[in-house]
Amino acid sequence: MTGTLIAQSLVNGVVLGMTYVLVALGFTLIFGIMRMVNFAHGEFYMLGAFVTFFAFAQFQIPFIVSLAIAAIIIGCFGMLIERVIFRPFRGNELNGMIAALGLAIIIQNAALIMWGADPKPMPSVATGILKLGPLIFPWSRLYVIGAAAVIIALFYVVITHTSLGRAMRAVAQDTEIALVQGIRAERIYPFAFGLSVALAALAGGLMGPVFGVSPTVGLAPMLKAFIVVIIGGLGSIPGALLGGLLLGIVESFASTFLGATVSDFLLLALVMLVLIFRPWGLMGVREA
Amino acid sequence: MSISQTTEVPNADHMPAATQGRHVWRNFIIVAVAVAVVPLITSSQYYLHVAILVLINSTFSTSLSIIARTGQLSLCHAGFASVGGYISALGAMRLGIPPVFGIFIGGAVAGLVALPLGWIILRLRGVYFVLVTFTFGQLLTLLALDLQSITEGANGLVGVPPLSIFGYAFVDRVPFYYLAAGFAGLVFLFTWRLLGAPAGRNFTCVEENLQLAESTGIDTRKTQVIAFVIGSFIAGMGGALMTHYIRYISPDSFTFWSSVAFITMMVVGGRWALAGPFIGALIITPLPELLRDTGGFQHIIYGAILILVLQFLPDGIASISQRVKAISRRRAQP
Repeated sequence: MTGTLIAQSLVNGVVLGMTYVLVALGFTLIFGIMRMVNFAHGEFYMLGAFVTFFAFAQFQIPFIVSLAIAAIIIGCFGMLIERVIFRPFRGNELNGMIAALGLAIIIQNAALIMWGADPKPMPSVATGILKLGPLIFPWSRLYVIGAAAVIIALFYVVITHTSLGRAMRAVAQDTEIALVQGIRAERIYPFAFGLSVALAALAGGLMGPVFGVSPTVGLAPMLKAFIVVIIGGLGSIPGALLGGLLLGIVESFASTFLGATVSDFLLLALVMLVLIFRPWGLMGVREA
Repeated sequence: MSISQTTEVPNADHMPAATQGRHVWRNFIIVAVAVAVVPLITSSQYYLHVAILVLINSTFSTSLSIIARTGQLSLCHAGFASVGGYISALGAMRLGIPPVFGIFIGGAVAGLVALPLGWIILRLRGVYFVLVTFTFGQLLTLLALDLQSITEGANGLVGVPPLSIFGYAFVDRVPFYYLAAGFAGLVFLFTWRLLGAPAGRNFTCVEENLQLAESTGIDTRKTQVIAFVIGSFIAGMGGALMTHYIRYISPDSFTFWSSVAFITMMVVGGRWALAGPFIGALIITPLPELLRDTGGFQHIIYGAILILVLQFLPDGIASISQRVKAISRRRAQP
């Protein structure tokens, strides 16, 4: 009985953790490259959930294709946003952050006007259960884990094995040296931003069937992404992976065995402990 | 490398105008008289309600600007207002503490919560402060929802007693309006005095150039913690005052979006001018009411105003007069 509960919590934790990883990866990527805190990141998650919902539930397009459509549309939208709204605030961290807050207000309320406040139920992607002895896993959850793993692997390949990915990492490590090497940072930024928000959109689309789709779904995953990057280290991609999975599993176990209140307290305690003892995060680089 | 560490030439505009004491007094008295005659001009309860909100909001945006003076952006300002509101309301309802004292206790608790939080996160430079204050504010909202036995959860506390002094209860709009005006005036004068004092001047030094401030012997972390605690203390008092006015508080009373609204007021009004946050509250508070006919577009306009002001008028509306002066001075020269 307890064994089943533990296995169940673990699967739920990994499902949560995978989404946190997807949201946090984009967030930490954009901070690493552009030194920008994107407070509208959660709104791109929400937009991704809506685009996936319309493609999958309204137009009956296969789920995987719907996800790809969401990633492409939101990615292009992100590139446009980067050029139009964020470019003037380059180098001004504080004003860029406040502008992102303004953008979050605009996107969220535009979604409210267009699609209404009522949550839209997204049909399940997969039905049935997987039985492994006494353990029972719903396919709908395992599906999220599989899809997220594939997306993270693709992201890893893009970052490590393409010239665009190498250029992004170079700019993140040292913008000036990257410029000297002939990398045009100004050209990299829109792609990095598009990639970042496309990841958020994918997370939103994947979690649509689990959490539902409404204009206000973006704030909660953004909060979790913040906690993940504080734990993992701001700007660190391995840190986002580790922090996301850790947070998902801790949260799942704590809310199953200790209740939601204790779980929330535990998250706060975790953040504070990391800030006291390892303020640069588990995988982050210590800044002088 | 973080942006807050880049070396900048100190900007004279950012220095508090503490030397122009007579100037500030004159303008303060003009505004105070204008504020005082509002209830004589209109007897509309609705207009008075909006005016009261403007005054209380001005204390939020002004206290936020104290923190911003040290180069930090707190996304937990509404969280501290909520702490003050809950503490004062619970004290009055459960323990019978008069709200007059409850407001101070609420502010003190908010400040006491801000102290260790600030001490821990202000060791880190720049952006971590924003991330952690956002996280902390969200967790405060979650706690207010979770601790049902104390806070009544999502239902909130209904029937918070009104503020009363010597048996006189501030229930009607007009007396409460003058009370809120008095509080807003005190917060403004306190902020002016604080920024003019040596401790307050350190705030600006820390914002302008952290390394230089550090190397001239200013304890930058302590300075930032002091500003954070003072700002949060005032936010807690403002939250308590608001709660005794509305006579209701719930986890939805002060949310992340309220913090964003306070930031908008501060930025639109002008971060570096003493009167900027007040001007911002005056303009931004009635905006959703004025734009109500636009059918949901008011929030979008709100966000657009924030971005446009940041881009084209980064020092806010308060800087317009300086800009005009600078242009006319340039014209005057042959």
